[in-house]
Amino acid sequence: MMRAISAAVVTAVLLVPTAASAQENYPPPGDPGQGPKGGQGKAQKFRVCKQGCRYRTIAAALKQADGADTIRVGRGTYREGLQVVGKRYDGLKLIGNSSKPGRVVLNGKKLKRGAAQNAVLVNGADDVTIRGFHARNYKANCFFVTNADGYTLDRLVAERCGVYGVYAFNSKGGRMTNSEAYYNNDAGFYIGQTPPQGAKKKRSLVKNVTAWGNVLGFSGTNMKYVTITKSRWYNNGTGIVPNALDSEKFAPPEFNVIANNDIFWNNFNFYYGAPFEIPGDAAAGFAGYPIGVGILLFGSQDTTVENNRIYGHYLGGFAAIPQLQLQIEHGDDPKLLEASVLRNNVVRGNQFGREGSDRNARDMAYNGSGTGNCFADNVTFSPNVPSSGSTLAPCPGPAQNTVDDAVLGEILPWATEGKPNQPATFEKYWIKNPHSTVPGVQPLERFDSN
Amino acid sequence: MDRRSFLAAGGGLGLICTLNGERVVINSAADLDRLDARAAAVPRPASAAEPVDSAQFAAPEPAPGGTRREYWLAARSVMWDPAPTGRDEWMKQRLPRRRSFRAFVYQQFSAGFATPLGRPRMPGPTLYAEVGDLIVVHFRNAERKLRQAVTVHAHGVRYNPEYDGAYLGDFTRAGGFVGPEEEFTYVWEATPDSVGVWPYHDHGPSHTLNTMRGLFGAIVVRERGAPVPDVEHVLFMHSLPPQVTRIPRLLHCINGRTAAGNTPTMRARVGQRVAIHVIGGDGNFHTFHIHGHRWRDASGAFVDCPTLGPNETITAAFVEDNPGRWLYHCHVFSHQDAGMAGWYVVDQ
Repeated sequence: MMRAISAAVVTAVLLVPTAASAQENYPPPGDPGQGPKGGQGKAQKFRVCKQGCRYRTIAAALKQADGADTIRVGRGTYREGLQVVGKRYDGLKLIGNSSKPGRVVLNGKKLKRGAAQNAVLVNGADDVTIRGFHARNYKANCFFVTNADGYTLDRLVAERCGVYGVYAFNSKGGRMTNSEAYYNNDAGFYIGQTPPQGAKKKRSLVKNVTAWGNVLGFSGTNMKYVTITKSRWYNNGTGIVPNALDSEKFAPPEFNVIANNDIFWNNFNFYYGAPFEIPGDAAAGFAGYPIGVGILLFGSQDTTVENNRIYGHYLGGFAAIPQLQLQIEHGDDPKLLEASVLRNNVVRGNQFGREGSDRNARDMAYNGSGTGNCFADNVTFSPNVPSSGSTLAPCPGPAQNTVDDAVLGEILPWATEGKPNQPATFEKYWIKNPHSTVPGVQPLERFDSN
Repeated sequence: MDRRSFLAAGGGLGLICTLNGERVVINSAADLDRLDARAAAVPRPASAAEPVDSAQFAAPEPAPGGTRREYWLAARSVMWDPAPTGRDEWMKQRLPRRRSFRAFVYQQFSAGFATPLGRPRMPGPTLYAEVGDLIVVHFRNAERKLRQAVTVHAHGVRYNPEYDGAYLGDFTRAGGFVGPEEEFTYVWEATPDSVGVWPYHDHGPSHTLNTMRGLFGAIVVRERGAPVPDVEHVLFMHSLPPQVTRIPRLLHCINGRTAAGNTPTMRARVGQRVAIHVIGGDGNFHTFHIHGHRWRDASGAFVDCPTLGPNETITAAFVEDNPGRWLYHCHVFSHQDAGMAGWYVVDQ
C-alpha cells in the first residue's frame, strides 16, 4: 500500500496514508476458509454478448450462475461493476478473450455508487477464475479478490483504477499471471494481509506480468508465501515494495521470493502530473515512497531476492530498511515491534546495472539492522550504501547483522524530504546515469513530457 | 509369449494395497482408478487425543559449523516413457511401442518454486548434506490431476515427529498429509549417524502406489569435509508393474528407465574415484553386479554382486582401473531380462 513518510525530526519517521483510501468500501476481513465446495449443480455455460445472446450484461449471467459454471463474455465494452460474492460461486470461471483481453472491456466511467468501485470484486468465493478482460476507470480497483482460498487472475489488463490494478486481500493460494497494469493510482499489482496458515501453506504466484506507469509496480503489505517471478516492473514510481504496516493484519511480510524479474527505470515522478489522481498531501507535510528505487524491503522476514536484473534507477536498485514507524509508534507492542525487524532476508545472484550500460545510482543499500540478512553473488556496477559494504554480510546470514547508523541518515531523506506540491524535491538525491535501449519501452520520468 | 514376457509374468500378480481401512487389490486399470479415487477422498485427519500426538516440537537448528541446505521440491504427475530410445541396446531389439504411463515424481525448483531446476524425473533430486547440516525441504504438492495428499518421508537423517512426513491415520501430523496446492517444510538433521546414502519417498495415504509410480529420491550425507568422489551416481533398482503403468507387461527398471540405452549410462576415466550408490526401490530383493569390477563391502570383504532389499542401500566404491564398456545389471535373471541393466563406460 502506498504510504507516506514524514521527517518531523531528522531521525523520526511517521507514516500515514496519502492515497485516497478506498478501504471503507471494502468488505471486512474474514477467514478465507478451507477451499472450494464446488458447484451446486451440473456445470452450465453462459454466453454474454452485445447482440444475439441470452445475456447482454455480465451481471445478469452472474445472477443465474453458480460455482460449477463458466460465463463467456463476447467482444464489447461493458459498463458494469461485477460482484462475485459468497461460496455459491466457488470455482466459477468468468472468461473474456484470453488472447486479446482488449476486446472485452469493463469500463467504470460514469458508473455510480457501488458499481463504480471495482470492475470485478470476488469476495468469499474460492477458486474463481477471471481471465481475458481489460478494466479501466474504476474508483477503487480494477480486479479485486478478498477472503478467498485460491484464485486465478489471468490475462488481464488493469488501467487507470483509483487504487490498485490487480489486487488480492486476505487470501491465499492465488495466481496472478500473464497480465498488465498501468496508470493506477497506487500499486499495479498488490497482495495484502495474507493470513497465517499454520504448518501447511498455500503459496501465491505472480508470474509473467508487467507493471508500468503506476505509483508502485507491486506492493505487498504483510504478504506471505508469495513468489514474484519472470515479470517486468518498469517506469513506476518504485518497483516492488514488500512492506510491514499496522493498517492491515498479520505483519510482517515474510516467506516471499522475488526471483528472475526485470526491474528497471522506476523513476516515474508522478507528482509532476499523471493520468490518475495524484496522491495528495496530508496534514503535516508528507511524502510517499521514494521515487527511483527498484526493490524496497520496508520491513521483511525470510524473503529471498535472487537472480533479478535491476538497472537504471536514480536512487537505488535495492534497499532494505526496518519499518521504523512500527518501532516508533508501537514500541510497547511486542508483535509489531518484532514485525518491524529485518530477519533472514537473502539477496543473491542479482545483476545490477545491466553490465554497466544502465547503472543504478546505487546498487544495494542496507543499514545492517536485524538478524540473518545476507548478500551473495550479486554483480554490481555502482557504489553500495554504505560504500564500504560493511553491512552486506555474506550468506548464510550472521546471528546479528552489523549496523551502520550513517546508512539511515543517507537513505531516509530519499523519502522524508519529498513534498508532493514540490515534485522536484523527490529528485534531490537522484543520480542520473544514461539508459540503455530496451526494445519497445521508453523511459517515463514525467508524464507531461511524454 | 517371448522369453522376457514369460519371466515377467511371474511378477504380474495383483498389487495389494490397504488404504484408509480398505484392502484394495489392483488387477486392472479400473482398479487403479478406484484406488486413486479413494486416495483423493481420504479425509484430512483430525487431531489425535493423546498428549504425545499433540505435543509440539520445535524446528532444529544447524549444529555448530553446519549450514542450512535448502531444497524446493514439488510433486506432480507426468507422462513418462521408461524407454525413450525405443530400443534395448544389449539385446539389440526394439521395444514395444506402448510404453508411456502417468508417473508421479518429484521435481526440483529454485526458491519460491520460481523456476524449475531440471525436468521432473525418477528418481527425484539427490539431496546432499554434511554432518551438522540441516536439510530443509520446502515441499509443494503441485499435482492437479490425481488430487491426493502426498509427502516426503526421509530415511537415515534425524527428525522429530513434525517432520516424519508419514500419514498415520488419526495420528497424522501436518507433514504427513500435504494436500493439493499445499506446501510443507520438512527439517531434517544430518547427525553423525546419518552418514551414508538413504532413500526418501512419499509416505502419504496412498504411498505404496505413489512411491511405485516414482515419488522417490536419495539423500547423501558425508562426514564434514569428506572428499567428494570424482564420479558419483545414485541408482534405484525397481519395477513398474502393469497395475501401476497400465502397460501390459512388467518393466524392471533403473531410475525409471528400462533396458540398456535407456537406463543411466555411467561414465568414468581410469584413475577416478567412483562411488555408485544403489538402492532397492521396490518390494523385491536385487543384486548389483558390474562386469569387470570388485569393491569392498561394509565388512571389508571383496564383492561384485551384493544383495539389497527394499529401501536398502549398497555403495560400490573403487578407484577405476579397468577401461572398456561394461554391463551393470541386477543378477536376478528375471529382473535383468525385463530391463534392469545398463552400460558403464570407462575411458582411458
